[in-house]
Amino acid sequence: MVMERTLEDWKTCFTQLGPPLLLFARRWTNSRADAEDIVQDAFLRCWRRQQPLENRALLYATVRSTALDRLRSDQRRVRREASVAQDGADYFEPQFTALDEGQQLLAAAVERLPNEQREVVILKIWSELTFAEIGNILEISQNTAASRYRYALGTLKKTLQPHE
Amino acid sequence: MNDFSELESELKKLRPAAVSPALRARVEQAMLRTDATATAGVLPRTSSGKVWWSFGLGLAAASALVLLGLTFFAKAPTPAPIVAQTSPAATLAQPQASGLQPSALTQVVYRRRDEGLIFSPNQSERVLRRVRYQTRETMQWRNPETGASLRVSYPAEQVVLSPVSFQ
Repeated sequence: MVMERTLEDWKTCFTQLGPPLLLFARRWTNSRADAEDIVQDAFLRCWRRQQPLENRALLYATVRSTALDRLRSDQRRVRREASVAQDGADYFEPQFTALDEGQQLLAAAVERLPNEQREVVILKIWSELTFAEIGNILEISQNTAASRYRYALGTLKKTLQPHE
Repeated sequence: MNDFSELESELKKLRPAAVSPALRARVEQAMLRTDATATAGVLPRTSSGKVWWSFGLGLAAASALVLLGLTFFAKAPTPAPIVAQTSPAATLAQPQASGLQPSALTQVVYRRRDEGLIFSPNQSERVLRRVRYQTRETMQWRNPETGASLRVSYPAEQVVLSPVSFQ
């Protein structure tokens, strides 16, 4: 049975999922404006199709496909994004809010993760998706998703360990 | 077993940056703009105005074709076999004095009633079937020089008597 959702339901959903969706969209761009455009397009696409709100993985998958469509539609953008989206690239705008010193270090470490690991962390930690869902979104196996996640946490732990 | 649990809890304390008010406003406005067209299905609902507009165009085109055909193939209406009585009607030739020429004649039968068998008033031996037709006739004249047109529409009633044989 498909529940009919009101406009208010969709607004609430956007309030809740907007921040992690935006974080996820930054995977393909280092510009917050571009990421916002991607999230807007993807969210409205889901809304027009009246996709089930319970299926958060579908929202993320739509963000991913929207971002890839944009990249494919503009080869210059591909080259530009490829040049700036190198592993460990720094972002000009903070992706996390209200941080103390320890959290700032952790946030910076997350942002320096390789893209393929960072997106798994984003989907796992801030979107609370299962590895199976993450695998579906990223078109990788469940085991690969779990493996990338473990690598990412290992890298973060190593980065944050006090140097002796 | 999971030695990352502490790190995971620390990560969960981080909050992704909030969506900017501008983005939120853009999304909400877009949803409000298209709220009337978003349905539970995939495709937006077709507006009823568009349907009526298409229907009107189709009707106009069909009427134009009928009129054109009648203009080319118009001929005097053939009389019914036996018409006992009929409503008074204008003839197509009347407005010709003003330069108008007959361009169309339509007759729509909207009711036919079989009134049964009767004896002919003149030939008492003969049996006839009486059928009453209620119609609406529309005649149209057009002045080819000025483009002026005149259309007359009126209800009519015809009673047709057909001989019946009992062989």
